[in-house]
Amino acid sequence: MLPDEILQTLNSEYPCRDSQIQQLAALYSQHLPSPPLLVAHGLTATGKTSIIKSYLRLSALPFAVVNSRECITGRHLLERIAAACLDALDEFGDEAVDRRPYARTENLSSLAVNLQRMLEARGKFVLVLDGIDKQREAPPTLMAALGRFGEMIPNLSIILISTLPLTHLIYTPSTPHIHFTPYPRSSLLTILSASPPKIFPTPPSTDQFPDYTPDLALEDDAWLWGRFTSAVYDSLTKHTGRDLDSFRAAAHKLWRPFVEPVVQGTFGTRDFSRLMVNRRVLFQGEEGVLDRIVASESTLADTTSASAAGLGSATPLAAKRRLRTLAHDLPYYTTHLLIAAYLASYNPSRTDVTYFMKHTDKRKNRRRTGAPGGTKSKHRKISRHLLTPSPFGLDRLLAIFRALLDGGVPQVADLYTQIATLTSMRLLIRAGGAGSADVLDPGTKWRVNFSWEYARSLGRTVNIEVGEYLVGGVD
Amino acid sequence: MEHERCYIYTPPEAEERPSKRQRTSDFNPQSQLAERLSTYRKIWAQQEQRIQATLEEADSKTQEKIVNFVSASAPVENAPQTSIPTGLVVAGPSIASHGPFFARLGRSIRDETNSAYVVLTSAESPNLKTLLKNLIKRVTSRIEEDDDDDIRPTASSRHGPKVLDFDLSHVQEWQKKNRTRSIVVALQDSEAFDTRILIELVDLFHCWLDRLPFVLLVGIATSTESFEDRLSGKSIRYLDGQKFDVTQSDVIIEKLFSATVANTDVPVRIGPDLSRRLLDRQKDHVQNVHDFIDGLKYAYMSHFYASYPTVLLKEKVAFKDLSSEAFEAVRNLPSFKRWVEELLDNNQAHDVRKLLESDQYLYQQVTEHIESGQNALNTLSNAATLLTCIRESLQMAPSIRLSNIWTRAAAGELSGAPLLRETLLSVKKASSDKLAPLFASLKELDIDTSPLDQDIFQKELEKLVEDNVGSGPLRSQDDVRNDSLRTTVIAQKVLLSKHKAALSEQDKAYSSLVARFNDGLERYFASAFIDPRTLFLSEILMYDLKSPHTEVFQPKPRFAMERALASPHDYLGCDCCSGKQGGESILSTTQPATAILYQLYLESGTLINVSDLWSAFNAIAGDDEDESKTM
Repeated sequence: MLPDEILQTLNSEYPCRDSQIQQLAALYSQHLPSPPLLVAHGLTATGKTSIIKSYLRLSALPFAVVNSRECITGRHLLERIAAACLDALDEFGDEAVDRRPYARTENLSSLAVNLQRMLEARGKFVLVLDGIDKQREAPPTLMAALGRFGEMIPNLSIILISTLPLTHLIYTPSTPHIHFTPYPRSSLLTILSASPPKIFPTPPSTDQFPDYTPDLALEDDAWLWGRFTSAVYDSLTKHTGRDLDSFRAAAHKLWRPFVEPVVQGTFGTRDFSRLMVNRRVLFQGEEGVLDRIVASESTLADTTSASAAGLGSATPLAAKRRLRTLAHDLPYYTTHLLIAAYLASYNPSRTDVTYFMKHTDKRKNRRRTGAPGGTKSKHRKISRHLLTPSPFGLDRLLAIFRALLDGGVPQVADLYTQIATLTSMRLLIRAGGAGSADVLDPGTKWRVNFSWEYARSLGRTVNIEVGEYLVGGVD
Repeated sequence: MEHERCYIYTPPEAEERPSKRQRTSDFNPQSQLAERLSTYRKIWAQQEQRIQATLEEADSKTQEKIVNFVSASAPVENAPQTSIPTGLVVAGPSIASHGPFFARLGRSIRDETNSAYVVLTSAESPNLKTLLKNLIKRVTSRIEEDDDDDIRPTASSRHGPKVLDFDLSHVQEWQKKNRTRSIVVALQDSEAFDTRILIELVDLFHCWLDRLPFVLLVGIATSTESFEDRLSGKSIRYLDGQKFDVTQSDVIIEKLFSATVANTDVPVRIGPDLSRRLLDRQKDHVQNVHDFIDGLKYAYMSHFYASYPTVLLKEKVAFKDLSSEAFEAVRNLPSFKRWVEELLDNNQAHDVRKLLESDQYLYQQVTEHIESGQNALNTLSNAATLLTCIRESLQMAPSIRLSNIWTRAAAGELSGAPLLRETLLSVKKASSDKLAPLFASLKELDIDTSPLDQDIFQKELEKLVEDNVGSGPLRSQDDVRNDSLRTTVIAQKVLLSKHKAALSEQDKAYSSLVARFNDGLERYFASAFIDPRTLFLSEILMYDLKSPHTEVFQPKPRFAMERALASPHDYLGCDCCSGKQGGESILSTTQPATAILYQLYLESGTLINVSDLWSAFNAIAGDDEDESKTM
């Protein structure tokens, strides 16, 4: 393929990356010499890996790609580099390379020797190391050594792909860098408009709408999608995630609920402004940009249907509340233990007397609540339940536990077993006292590992209003 | 003593005989143990079968869903996956039951889909390397069983670069040969995994997703939100899944209870006290299905081990199989004594004499009574199930579970109880649109409701409903909607009077139907809800001893220790330190040194001066020449 053709293909496949592709083409061509080391850097989803891979594939240069994410240790990376180079040579060369001399690549020097032997009397070879800055357990001299490989192996040129420029790690002067800049708004919209999704999952029946041809549908899709994506960008992804991936994900997530009235026939395909007003809830809430493992189609649908019913913005909150319910009930005493642990974590221990002593001095027994009427303190304090939990000792937990319960604790309540179980469920975690193998060592400090909502819903299952015991109150 | 390494301790010789007399007769407490054992095994085998069936049925639905998810998420040709299919299995807080659940799940996944299935636990995955090694070992080991005769073309050291043993290329090689649809990796206890390992694992799987069809199953004890909170946004973007809820353990316990205790075809049951204890333990302390099963099994074991007359429970036990000791044991049962007294009150002294003298006659009576007692208990269970079903289909509040109703019935608390009266009243008030589903659900019940003639009622009801011309359902005369209040003002006093609205013909017919049904129910419940403890041989048919269960499953070590130290007399039973009229904390010289020390410790504050402690101890524990002994 001629260089111009390559550029044309790449530009059509990866729009808005002209300058980077040009630089690549200038540095790596069949006949001109290439730099021994190149750093391609840029934020996530800026097309670094895919553009470099496609370019090398089109340019017919022999090359090998090793993904650092797949390598568990530094040694693993070296072994994989050797294996990948051998595979690539097999693919590009005429006869198979004798693999026996390359059985082991323990360290950087043996990699250098192996590569030297491999590439002896061959043409130019490009080695791409993807995400090299994320390599686990990388040897400290990895980058510097890679930078100097070119001195020993003249026909090898290495491309390092990383998030940030590696200037301080490479001691070789004048290493060329290619910066893959983040896409600006216009480029993002251009890229997304290249493949508009359909408004109608199944095309409307031809009997009813005989003049709605597929061509017309395509035109409508592109028109509405273009408007829609710019609205999504301006309202949501501009503030939450500007990269291509999250923008695309958010747009696709919101598209179905957005065009629902069109599919139902309430609005025409070009009624964009009325559609926007009708579906404004989508752009006000955060559901579209939150990542979830379980696809939350149902909650989106709920909010939209509720908004259609005219309930306004109260529903998203309610939907969120519902998400935070307990999946399974815990036993009675275990629940109390967890509540006690939460209180022990979030109440300072000096207030325990006020809150949990059954009988005490009347003078002392004045609970401080949120903000005493009228006099607002000058310093704004962060509500306690928004801070990280503080560690507490086991004896304090048990004391609060007993204070919470109405009657006594039966002798048969195996509290330690329950604490151990909660630990293995990571609801309680050990904060200090590490080094002792015994989980229930008295010196161990503990912390809770759940949030205020969870504690409150726990309390409601056993009729305890946790907020009443919390210093400073809540809400 | 101090210069010797060891010495022989000679206890002071006691002059008198031990206070407890030795048993001198050659009584064998374990006679016919083998028969009892075999009977136990037979009966428990039936129970175990029921338990297994219940457990499997309980999570079969979830398992089926998961299997469908796995087979649906296998990659399709030419459509690259962008995220790892993930099943979030919310398995509940009973961690002990996760293992068997995932084992069962693995079996059904392997059987029904062409996938490899690997379970990883947190204990064997302290870091990513070990985790991957385990994963590779388990995925690829299956092949070795299948065909190990052909030479595996591994990229071993002789042929080229060595593949490290945590490199997923091993799995890729294996996948190339086997072409499984998907590789299912189950993380059994996701909470206990290190968060960093989880994130790296997700990252790695995502990298390999274009070559290896991974499916991730995550066992979660708390909630999916807390799992999501632990992962970074990037990792979550790599996952795309579905949530599966495993049946809550209290629901399973309820099912187990109705299958094993409140079932109609059980020869031996646990009694109300014990079952209440078992159920309370589930509610208050642990949620563990296996704990419940173990408790039940232990009850059965101790019943057959410790109680000699249980040999009579053997199916078709013949007279010649039994020794006279068995009959002697029966004659010593409290329920036998009650029965005999009852017979004497009825002036059947002749029968009583025969019972006491003739083993043969007693044998006949016992076999008859065992059968009738079992029938009575079956009827009781039947009635409890029926009552629960009625309450459920009338949607009465509060909803009371079968286990609760059964326990109360078995304790003899239900005959004439408010619960029963209330239920019968609502049956009386029920309109025809409620009664029809009630009949339907009664029909579905797997119990014998023949004494109710429910089929006849149902047919009549159907006929009445067919003939009903009015718009609303038929109402009985007790229905509140047929009442109207009339106020009359006479001499400035307001009188309220209730009036029945005039009933139509059909309503009248319906009312009589309901009344008959209600009467039938009332009679049935009255005859069924007896106090089972008044039955002759109830000790054999029902095991209700609390203490063996408590000692094994709910021991109180701390309490026992404290009691032993605080009042050693309770355990030693000697005369010397028996507290004078219950004075438990009286320190005396005769108490063991440890007990004295413990009580001194209790009296002191948080910091103890050793010298003070020693002098106090010395003051109590005695004089100087005794010192060597107390040491």
